[in-house]
Order: sequence, then C-alpha cells, then structure tokens
Amino acid sequence: MSILPFPSFLDDVKEKGFKKAIFEGIDDSVERLTAGLNVQDMREAFRGDSASRRPNPRLTPHADGFWLHMRPSYFNRDVTGMYPTMRLGWLSSYFVWFETITGILLMLWYTPSPEIAYGDMLTILSNVPLGQLMRDMHRLGAEFMVAVVAMHMMRTWITGSYKKPRQFTWFSGLLLLVITGFLSFSGYLLPWDQLSLWAVTIGASMAEATPVVGDQVNLLLRGAPELGANGLLRFYLLHVLALPALLFVFFGVHYYKVVIHGHSLPPQKENIGEDTAKRVPLDKRVYFIPDMLTYEMFWLGATTFIITVLCIWFYHAPLENHADPQVTPLGTTAPWYFLWIQGALKLGDKFIWGVAFPTVALGGLAMLPYMDVTPSRRYAHRRFMLTIAMLLISVTTILSYMGLAKFAVQTSAETEIVHELTFEPAHSKVGVGRTIPFDQMIVGAYTTAQMHGADEMSANDMIAGFNAEVMANGQFDQMIQELKDQHVGANQLPLRFRSIPADEAPKLAIVMEEFAHHLDLAPDELPGVWGALVITDNQAGLKRLDWVVSWDSVLIQGGEVQFDEEGEPILVYSEQLDAEGNPVPVRRIYSDHLFIHRASAYFD
Amino acid sequence: MGRLLFIRSIEGRILAGITMFVGMMILVGWVAINEEARMQSFVRQHTGRSVERGAELFASLCSECHGEEGYGQGDRAPGLNNPHLFGYDPVGLQTVAITTANRALVRFNQDLSNLLAEQTDAENPPSEERQNEILAAIAALEEQIAEQQAVIEAAVVERADILATLDTAVENGLFPLWDTVVDIETTGANEVEVFFNANGTRLAQVGWAGDLHGYVVTTLIHGRPGSANVYPNGTGMAAWSQTAGGPLRQDQIEDLANYILNWDKGGAWTAEDFIAVQQYGKPLADGSLPSEPPPPPAGDDVLGILARWQATEIVGSAVSGELLYDAEYGCTDCHRNGASAPDTVGTATRIRNERLTLPQFAGYTIEQYIVESITRPGDYVVDGYSSGLMPSNFGVRMTDQQLADIVAYLLTQE
Repeated sequence: MSILPFPSFLDDVKEKGFKKAIFEGIDDSVERLTAGLNVQDMREAFRGDSASRRPNPRLTPHADGFWLHMRPSYFNRDVTGMYPTMRLGWLSSYFVWFETITGILLMLWYTPSPEIAYGDMLTILSNVPLGQLMRDMHRLGAEFMVAVVAMHMMRTWITGSYKKPRQFTWFSGLLLLVITGFLSFSGYLLPWDQLSLWAVTIGASMAEATPVVGDQVNLLLRGAPELGANGLLRFYLLHVLALPALLFVFFGVHYYKVVIHGHSLPPQKENIGEDTAKRVPLDKRVYFIPDMLTYEMFWLGATTFIITVLCIWFYHAPLENHADPQVTPLGTTAPWYFLWIQGALKLGDKFIWGVAFPTVALGGLAMLPYMDVTPSRRYAHRRFMLTIAMLLISVTTILSYMGLAKFAVQTSAETEIVHELTFEPAHSKVGVGRTIPFDQMIVGAYTTAQMHGADEMSANDMIAGFNAEVMANGQFDQMIQELKDQHVGANQLPLRFRSIPADEAPKLAIVMEEFAHHLDLAPDELPGVWGALVITDNQAGLKRLDWVVSWDSVLIQGGEVQFDEEGEPILVYSEQLDAEGNPVPVRRIYSDHLFIHRASAYFD
Repeated sequence: MGRLLFIRSIEGRILAGITMFVGMMILVGWVAINEEARMQSFVRQHTGRSVERGAELFASLCSECHGEEGYGQGDRAPGLNNPHLFGYDPVGLQTVAITTANRALVRFNQDLSNLLAEQTDAENPPSEERQNEILAAIAALEEQIAEQQAVIEAAVVERADILATLDTAVENGLFPLWDTVVDIETTGANEVEVFFNANGTRLAQVGWAGDLHGYVVTTLIHGRPGSANVYPNGTGMAAWSQTAGGPLRQDQIEDLANYILNWDKGGAWTAEDFIAVQQYGKPLADGSLPSEPPPPPAGDDVLGILARWQATEIVGSAVSGELLYDAEYGCTDCHRNGASAPDTVGTATRIRNERLTLPQFAGYTIEQYIVESITRPGDYVVDGYSSGLMPSNFGVRMTDQQLADIVAYLLTQE
C-alpha cells in the first residue's frame, strides 16, 4: 500500500511486474481519452475486424464522450456515397472550423483602425512567417465557404430533402447561408484597401434604400455617413464576434436537426410519403467508428492539402492600394456573391430591386418547405419545383453577370482604354502597360500611328511623316501642353516621336500594338485617333509613362455617339478653317500616367 | 471522382489520409523555409510601389513649387533632388581632398629632407650602396609629391569652378538669405565658401539631430512655418498630414518621403548635380533671374480699379480671360446652367438689359457692374440665388490685368 493518498504506479509494478503495469496503464489512459475504446478495441476497429467484446465498445464514445455524442453512431450506406449529399454539408462544417482557426491566427496581427489596418496587412505579408499563406487560406476558404453553402442549399432543394419532417432544418440552414454571406462580406472590409472600401460601400449602400429608417440603418452599420474608424470597428466586431456567435448557435441547431431526423435517403430508395432515414436495417449500417471516422480524417487531409496547394501556387488574396474615400476606382463591384443584387439594381428603383427583391427572394426560400407540401420526393413528381430551382440558378447567374462593371455602365472610350492598359493589380490581374520589363521602358515618345499602314513603308518613314503631320496641325503641341499640365519636367518633354525599338523592347512593341488595337475598336467615338506613350526618366530606377489619346471630338448625347443620316458620327467643328477653307474638327486630348519603379515587379 | 473520394478499404483511407497530412506538412515546411526570402522580396516590391505612389503625389502636389525634377524653383522652394540635402557638400569635398593631399605632402617633404640630410651628411657619409638606395628613394618620393600636387591643383580648380558658378547668384544679390554671409565684407573671404563652411549640409544647417528620413517626414507632416520668409515668392510649406490638418494620410506621407529619399545617389553625387539645383535664389537653368514679385492684387475698390485701368492703359484680353474664368479660378464650376449661380452664357446681355435698368445701378457702366460683382459679391445678389455662395476674396487673388481679362471675356457673352 502506498503511503501517498492515491494509488501508486509503483504498487502496480510491485503487484504485476513492470511490463504489464506499463501496458495496462497505457490501456487505461487510452480508454479514458477515447471515452470507451482501449488499445485492443482501436486496433480491431482500424483493421476492419468486428469488435471482440460486448457490449460493442465502438458505441461507447457516442454515449459517453462529449465530441461524439452529437455525431450519429451509424449511417445508412445509401447516404455515405457521393450521391446524394455531394458531401457539401460536411464541407460547410469543415470551412466553419477552417475559417475559425486561420481567422484567429490572423487576429493576432490585426488592429481594426483605419490608420493601422492596412499597415497590419503589409506586416502580415512582409514580417510574419507564413502570414501570407494564412491570409490566402482564410480568404480562399471564405470564398469556398459561401459557394459550398449555397450549393448545399441547391442540393437540398433538388433532392427534395427539405420536405416533412425537415422543414425547420431547411429554415435554419437558410439562416446559416445568410450569416455566411454577411460573415464573408464583413471580412471584406477589414484589409482597408481600395477593393474592400468600395466593394463594401456599394454593398452597404443598399441598406440606405430601406424605407423610412434607411438613414438610421445606414448610420448604425457604418457608424458615420461614410465608412471610417467607427464603421471599420463595427464590421470587425460583426466579423469576429456577433456573426460567428450566431453562426455557431445556428450551426448547432441545424446539425441537431440533421441528427434528429437522420440524413434523408435518395428519393427513389423509400416509398412516397415515407421517411425511413432513422430506420436503418442492420445490413445497411455503416458505423462511425471506424468507417466514417477514417473517411472524414482522409477528407480532412485531402481538403486541407488541396487548399494548401491552391494557396501556394494558384491563389493569393488580393491587396490593393490603401483605402481612399476620395478616389473611386473605375469598375468597382460588390463581392461576387452579392453581384446578383448589384445586377438587379441596374433594373430600376433602388428600393424595389435593392431591398424588396432580395427580401422577397429570401422570404420565398424560407417558406419553400411550407409551400411545397406535396409528399413525393421523386424527381418525376417534382417537375415544377425542379424547374423553379433551375430558374433560380439561371436568374442568379444572369443577374450576377449584369452586376459586372462592364454591363451597362457608360464610360468614355478613351478613359476605358487607358484604364485597361494601366490599371493597378486587382483581382489577380494587372494592366498590361505595367508589365513592360523595366529595361524595356526606353525613354522616348511612341505612337500607335506606327501600326497603321506600316506595311507599305518602313517604320522610320512612317514616323517621320507622322511627325511632320502632327507638328503642322498643332496636335503635337497640344500633346506637349497636356504633358506640361500633367507636370512632366520641362527638360523631359519629347521633341518628336520615334519608332518603337521592337528589337530591344519586344514587350513595349506588344503593348503598343495592344494600345492601337483598343483604339481601333472605337472608330465611332474616337475618329481620327492616335495614341501615344511617352516614357521619361523620373529618378534613378523610376520611369514615368504618359498615355495620351488624341482624337476628333464627336457629338455625344446621353453617353451615345450621335450619327448623321449617312450613318457617320457627327463631328464637332471649331470656328477655325483650314487652308482650303474647310472647317476643322475640335481636337480633343486625354492623358493618364503611371510611374514604374524597377523593384515593383508587376510582371511576376 | 466518387471512387477517389470513397476509397472502400479502411487501410486505403488511412494510408491516403496520412499521405495527405504528410504532404501538407511538407508543403508548409517548404513554404516556411522560403519565407525569409519571400518577405524580403515583398518589402522590395512594396517599397518600389510606394515610391511610385509618392511620385504621383509629388507630381500633383509638390512639383508646382519644388520643380518637376525636384531641383527647386529659384526663390519659391528649395531643391530636394539636391546633394546638399543628402549630406553631399561638393565644396567641402574638394576642401577635404586638398587638405588630405596637403597632409601627405608635408609627410613626403619631411621624408625628403631627412633623406637629403643623410645624403649630404659630411660627418657620417653613407656607403656607396646606401647612396644608391637614397637616390632611388628620392626619385620615388619626388614622383609621389608631384602626384599629390596634381591632386591639389585639380581640386583647387574644381572648387574654384563650383564657387564661380554660384558666384553669379551672389553677385545678383540673391544669395544673402543667411546671416553668415553678412560678415563676408569684413573677412574678405570667398562668400560662397564662407556659406558652405558655416552651413555644411542641410541637416547640419538646421541643427537636426535625427536622420534624414525623420527630417523629411516631419517637414511633410508639419510644414515649415516661416518658410515664406526664406523663399519670398513661395506660398510657404503647408502642413500636409491629416495629423496637422492637411490632406494626406500617414501612408501617403511615407510614400512621399520614400520618393524624395529615392533621389539619393549616395556616393555618386557630383558637382553638376549641385549646380543643377535651383535654390538660394540662384539664377534659373535658362539663365533668367527668379520671377519678379507678383503684381499687387486688384483689391475691392471698384472705382479705383477702373481708374488704374485707365491710368496704366490696361486692356483686357477675352482669350486669356476665358482661360482664367474656366480653369484658373473655376468660375464655370458654379456659373453654368443657372442652377446655383447665373449662367455664364448671356451675361453681357442680361446685365445690359436687366440689371443696369434697376434703380440702384443708375450711372453704372457694364464694366463697373462686373468688377463690383467679382470683387464685392455680397453687395448685390440677383433674385433667386443665395447670398454668401460666391467667394469674396477674388479681389485679393486677381491682379488688375486678370480682372480686365475676365471682364473682357464676360463682355463677349451675349
């Protein structure tokens, strides 16, 4: 007997011998940790043998343990395949945990303040080992989660699994979908870059359209008329506290309902109007331990592995420039999962399409199981509801397409073209003008006029002729004035155009060809157009690229070019006459510029 | 797909699961050992992009006064693309070169006289062998002395050149903005040299204890109160940071500082760089002198303005008037469509036919009416428009000539 107040391991050794005491001690500990399975039980389970002792120890963890008491101890073989679940519900749960873990790691490096947040992003990318990988994973996981949850809903609709007795399961799932959307949306703002500020500004502007209390709702959400310090803090608290709390509560409710009613069988496997999910015949039982457990551990490994691979080679979370409420980027859109609302907004009234329509749509979805009360889950008997499901998918897709910036948003051609060539990295794309290697940015003025008719004569003759032409008609001077207005140094102004050095700078030549190609696509809006790229030295390792578009002004009303009876665009003439006494069209000029540093590496 | 995700045997699943976990850990480990390099390259890339954004800000906000290439603008603002700012003092460097060579010369001469003394020592004459050694050493020393003398000569010429270039500014009375230059008369030294001896580099000159980055950032944040005293034709360095009531965020201040510091050439600065700087009111690159002080503003004494027009024969030009009206003063921002202010089109007609017929404008000429409307907008507001919208400081901002130009332009608006 030990003198200590608890049974001593030494006593065991004395009694049973060292080896036996060790093995029994381990066995005992394992059985406590697994809430019922000792080493021998586990060995049998993972070998695929049947349990050697009764009562079946593999059911004990479900009865006694905390973690497994919420998991069913066996499944029907008919629901463990790819069909009918596609494993989408499992994947949704997986992402809840995945996002929680990566999110907590990111929280360590984040402060929700407009002065600091963006700097924190840079710190995560520049000074936190594995910080970039964590951020990529969290962001990609968020995008996947929204998609997976939405697909999970459509799968439930298509297999008719929302029907009695699972109506409330559907309803709680719909709440989870909405919470997932808002979680993803609130996280969008946190990096505090241009992408987040403007995507969220657009999304949050729908709150304004709420009748009567629109201003109040807007104020509550943003903390001020515009997004700022208060708004960022509110979105942060929503993202890390309020919405996760709601998510976990309804996740519990939803999963409880799933277990209570059992996973619904494929429609053709049971009689019409019956629900046999909970009555699993012995020969159809697939036990959680060991079958489902090993499946899930394998999927866990596989999914995480795939995400890791994607985040190393194929996906990086976007980070644009610091948020700036004064600068609205061209082509701003809401996050992709809210594009359908943005598309709907282009149809008309902000209240009807921005508030009423989504509310009615979600309300309709919530009431779906209570409206569709036909007992049959067979596909052949549900043609109407399946048609509605396909319609819903089609309409959402079309509306989302309409939500894109390129749909029905009027921008003048010259702005659009120069933006297309120069835009900052966004959504993993970058304007091709930024991708010219630094050494190929050879100082000089180049023009797209070189691309036209260059077949008949040499590039040098072509440029010489063009120089003479634009110097005579004042278009060159107009360009020089524009460059001066845009603060190009007086010593840097070009004296004439030169031909593109395609041998030393092949990429420059490609970009100029693309520039010319874009200009050619807008012959009505930009008659007599030529484009120019003026490259100047600014500092050691820093070049300045001025993109110039010069064209004859045309009459534009309501964003549309006006045509005369012959179908030609109507030009706007100045009061001057040329040498032959013909009126001269007003010549217009547009320019934008960017600076490129040697180390910026836009081409990577 | 189904077959892949639903491996039928338990061993298969366990094996595949373990493989995936191990694979993932290997990948993460591989990423981890490359993190140091990745983070460094991110910093380089980010600094590059920061310089780009700084360049954009500099072009739009700073180049007006500091010059597009950062050389400064005569007496408006100092040069920033400037060796003096980065601690490179061309005069000082030449002086250091001369002093160093002089020290070497002293040493060589000492050696030389020692050798000569030994060679001619009557009491203890050196052996034949030693004599030859001494002769060789003397020849070598003379070569080195000639070398050092050449260095000194070149440095003296170089220094004289730099000083001569800057002398023009002194002769034109554009230099003496600093107290140290005052006692030049009494000492008779070269004035510019005295300046550089006293001021060294910019940081030394202002007595800044921190580094250059801190100096630039602080100046950007807080501005430079009193700089208008040093650069009389400048507008004075404003506080640019939101911290101090300006328009820029902290990250933009950093971008600007990164851009300005990117001018540093380190050891590669040359005297030519120094001469290119347009500072201390020295003549501009094209040889012209800094701009005359701007002509006085017109003020708001309407009849006085009209009288001065007559006396000095000022005639307005409608063409420059239009430019001033549209761009410089942005009048068309409000004066269009007649929504918030009377439409520009038809101004002359309306004044002649409607306003001047009102009793309070009896005896007004149309010019008088326009000048009064611009310089004293509060005196009379057309019915249907709110008072207090039009800025009342145009009289202070416009010169007589500009006012005349705008009046000439408005008279064409029938």
